[in-house]
Amino acid sequence: MLLLPFGVLAGIAGTMVTAAFRFLRPLSGSTTAAARWVDIGPLSKLKGDKPLLKRLITEQQTGWATSREEHFVYVLPGKDNTVLSCVCPHEGCNVSWSEGQDGFICPCHDSFFAADGSRVKGPARRGLDPLPTREQNGVLQVQYVSFVNNTEQREVLE
Amino acid sequence: MTWEKGENPLSKDWFCRWRSSVLLESLLYDQPTSKVDSWLRTTGGAVTLLVCLQLVTGLLLAFYYVPSAETAHTTVAYVEKVAPAGSWIRALHHYGSQWLTVALVLHIAQSLWRRSYRRRPVGWWVSIALLVMVLAEGATGYSLPWDVRAMFATRITEGIAGGLPLVGRAARQWVLGGSIISPVTLARFFALHALLLPFLILLSSFIRFIFAGLQKRQSESAGTGPDWIRTQFARNVIAAGVVFLALALYAVKYYAPLGPPVSAADADYLPRPGPQFLWLFQLLKLVPGSAASLVATAFPTVVLLSLAALPFLNPQGGAKAVGWRAQTAPILLSLVLVAVAALTAAAYLIDARDPQIRTQLELQSQQEREFREQPFQPLQTNTDNEPNDDTSTSVSPAPTTSPVASPGPVNAQPVVASAAGPPNAYLENCAACHGMKGEGTSLFPKLKNVTRKPRRSVEDLIGIMNDPKAYGLRPPMKSYADKLTDQEKTDIANWITALSITSHGKQASGR
Repeated sequence: MLLLPFGVLAGIAGTMVTAAFRFLRPLSGSTTAAARWVDIGPLSKLKGDKPLLKRLITEQQTGWATSREEHFVYVLPGKDNTVLSCVCPHEGCNVSWSEGQDGFICPCHDSFFAADGSRVKGPARRGLDPLPTREQNGVLQVQYVSFVNNTEQREVLE
Repeated sequence: MTWEKGENPLSKDWFCRWRSSVLLESLLYDQPTSKVDSWLRTTGGAVTLLVCLQLVTGLLLAFYYVPSAETAHTTVAYVEKVAPAGSWIRALHHYGSQWLTVALVLHIAQSLWRRSYRRRPVGWWVSIALLVMVLAEGATGYSLPWDVRAMFATRITEGIAGGLPLVGRAARQWVLGGSIISPVTLARFFALHALLLPFLILLSSFIRFIFAGLQKRQSESAGTGPDWIRTQFARNVIAAGVVFLALALYAVKYYAPLGPPVSAADADYLPRPGPQFLWLFQLLKLVPGSAASLVATAFPTVVLLSLAALPFLNPQGGAKAVGWRAQTAPILLSLVLVAVAALTAAAYLIDARDPQIRTQLELQSQQEREFREQPFQPLQTNTDNEPNDDTSTSVSPAPTTSPVASPGPVNAQPVVASAAGPPNAYLENCAACHGMKGEGTSLFPKLKNVTRKPRRSVEDLIGIMNDPKAYGLRPPMKSYADKLTDQEKTDIANWITALSITSHGKQASGR
């Protein structure tokens, strides 16, 4: 006798729980703007042996808001304009170029990277992360990507 | 008053009577007499379901909604356009509140018909309190999306509060949280809608079920353990299920309304309240303006207070009551219900018959449809970073529809206008309300494209700065006749005109 009413209640609850799950589930791939190509600067100005520090603004959409984020990269004009992310692959501090030591130092845990970004000394488990680049009309462009911290193999952060 | 000695309704004796002697009577009277009767008495199940549904859907909406003037409209648009199942959940919430009002009125009518207010005064009072709070939820809820419709809902609440005798001024300021509609108002409405009123609704429902529970336990201990109570429970649940199914399908078919943001508001916008307030809207057409607030508040108050007083006025109730006294309350309530239904019908009919009103209302729903079909415009946060140039995606469509088209925050800046930049006099005097680039703010109209309206030539714009009233503009727009030099006025008017031409180059060239 009570089976029917409880079945009805379960139906209502089930419908609402399903809707709530779909409604609240975070939308993946919402950070579409991350895959956009961002200008770094004209190739003619990327000269010299030393790494050049550049600032990037990326725009990402998460839910109902787009936010602009500031990132830093090093361009290596001496190495085919390779672009390295400033983010230390250990715990994510920004590394800085040390003129005297001819390498990148992480100020947080003293990881040290060679001038081409390869790992010299831990605790970081891999070298600095290179970013995808391309040339368009004489301008160097980069795709800003984040990677998973503290792994030996590079994994793009979803 | 007709109670006998020891029957004083305010005495503990009377109040607790349902726990003893009334119990048997209650079992006698509450037992349904026929199948039809037992199904008619499932309004309680529908009310319970709809209250729970409002709480659940409201809670879900609060996961995205942010109650600030900058974000309210964008977040509601996100729920409507992007979030999966979002428009369904919002439609459930929107139409659920209207259905709940109807269900409560039916429930009250049904309790009155059976005179259960006598046997269960607490349940009766809770139903009436719920009706008041559900209407208040509706009134505050209409303001939250902060679209054009919300703007007018807020303005009408403001007007009704402000027109109250003696306390009007204070009431209006308390409602608004200041002397004008502002972001403070939105925060107040949100706090009332999402915190205070739901708390009171939960509290009163809780009280009702505690009393019902006591009664049930006593009936069980009295050994009457009636089967029909369980059957009636099953019927209530099934009725609730039917209501849920109907509402769920309705919400699949119909969207909850959401208009363009306020900054795009049109001067001839024709506001209409939700269906549960249409009778009040129609009633206010019939009374002189000076009495409007009094009627709008006094009429419902008198009706609800006399309903609430019934357990005191008619304590003999039940089968013992005879003569006109026993019939007064049902007759009066039926009259009120008929009046409300007639007023609602009249409001619909008058709108449908007047061709001008009908055209305007159709235009407005057309604009709402167009806004719905436009892609979602995310809100730009931390804009102090330098902007990327490739963000300009918003293109105003359809030149046939008046200037309501531009969605969300205006990202696309016309090249020429942004290169020229607004004159300094504009930045100092106008930008605070109309935006740095004439894009308007959440409360004040945008100036971009204003020249597409009639009487907005350069000369007219200067005229508006000198004497806004002459152009039918209302406060807070004030005269700048002696705050700006003639040169500054001309510069501002030229800049506003250039703003409109550059953003709609093709159309403007035809003018």
